[in-house]
Amino acid sequence: MKVLRVKYERNEITKKNKAIEVCFKCSTCSKFCPVTLHVAKYNLEDSFIAQLFEAEKPEALNDVWMCCACEKCVITCPQDANPTEVFTNLKEKSYQEGLAPSIVYRIVEQLLQESTVYSIKFANMIRKRAGLKEVKKNEKAVKELNVLAEKAGLERKEVN
Amino acid sequence: MMFNYLFFKGCTIPASLPNVEKLALEVLPEIGINLIESDEFTCCPDPIRLQGANQYFWISTAARNITIAEEKKLNIMTLCNGCENTLAIVNHKLKNNPALKKTANEALKNIGREFKGTIKIRHFLQVLKEDIGLDHLKKMVKTPLTGLKVAGHPGCHLLMPNEILQFDNPVDPEFYDQYIEALGATPVDYLTKADCCGVSLALAGDKEASNRCVKTKLIDMQLSGAQLISTACPSCFNQFDSGQLMASRDYPQLKEKPIPVLYGVELLALAMGRSFEDIGYNLHRVKIPIKIKR
Repeated sequence: MKVLRVKYERNEITKKNKAIEVCFKCSTCSKFCPVTLHVAKYNLEDSFIAQLFEAEKPEALNDVWMCCACEKCVITCPQDANPTEVFTNLKEKSYQEGLAPSIVYRIVEQLLQESTVYSIKFANMIRKRAGLKEVKKNEKAVKELNVLAEKAGLERKEVN
Repeated sequence: MMFNYLFFKGCTIPASLPNVEKLALEVLPEIGINLIESDEFTCCPDPIRLQGANQYFWISTAARNITIAEEKKLNIMTLCNGCENTLAIVNHKLKNNPALKKTANEALKNIGREFKGTIKIRHFLQVLKEDIGLDHLKKMVKTPLTGLKVAGHPGCHLLMPNEILQFDNPVDPEFYDQYIEALGATPVDYLTKADCCGVSLALAGDKEASNRCVKTKLIDMQLSGAQLISTACPSCFNQFDSGQLMASRDYPQLKEKPIPVLYGVELLALAMGRSFEDIGYNLHRVKIPIKIKR
């Protein structure tokens, strides 16, 4: 069986996520992780969680965005290591460094324009078919959202 | 008795399942839930991608949405697992972590708002469980869905984090089956009930993995003899509906025995005397005829 070597001193995971230091690589989480179970390149001995914890620069892997935050790993971990929290922090780093999949930047751009992640124009076409009233863009809400985005440092990055 | 809730529609339901929005406004008052609409809400934002993009923005935006309900002195009800997950987590964190609340309020101050922590966030199923009660719901059902075998899918984000949502057993969920039973239908048990529908795999660009994931669940449901699937999460709904069609290109056994999916509210509407036509079944992608004994 492959032994997991978490690069504790080289990556920043443990700085933010002290809890994963107690991970004893038992792979219990991987037996329930939808990513490990269904993505072809992963298996129980070389799981999604193991690969990310082992990677030199895990935030550069697109795969971190596959984590659906279902917290199956949190429920099953016998050590309470909370891998989901690690993945959320890695996603954040990946986003800040412009390494996230382009769809994530597109969603943010759409959100800041119309305050919803779906285009209002297309939503209204579907609503018309269902016999529902149109939705309108709420300018005040969009404005407030943009202020919050600015305060949070959610800059609009170039799509990679 | 009527329970008043501010209706948090989210992004997916108004844009991709508008018939569910319409049904909720029509049918829920019949069982004692009065929904008040507001156009001030924004995206919740979602716990998978937007939380990942920037956690501070995620918290402050969710807090802004909560302040709207606080101003109106109303609790929020949502029909979406993702919205429930985000809003309930942020509400809980800000209520219990004074330092975080202070940080969030510093951001909100710029738009003239303040998080106070005075309201509750509830998913439709939680409202049924806590306010209405399934025994009471059973009495209100007009046309019980007798003999209909339904596979319930509660969805990940309504089950975890359990210490905050405190809704159901996250490993062996029971409530959705009890809900199906209250409507007069027969819930079927299947092995992968608590598992992910696979939608996030598709969103991250691995269509094959997403197909494999939804196929595993659908085959389990087939084996259990389910005629229908029911869920109360719009992302899971889309995965079982259009996702099933896409997965059936890779897995012919799905084409042989397609299983349609009904939203929790659609299933309720059927039990409240509506027809398949009334609930907007023609807007579904998988729509094989289903007969209910009435």
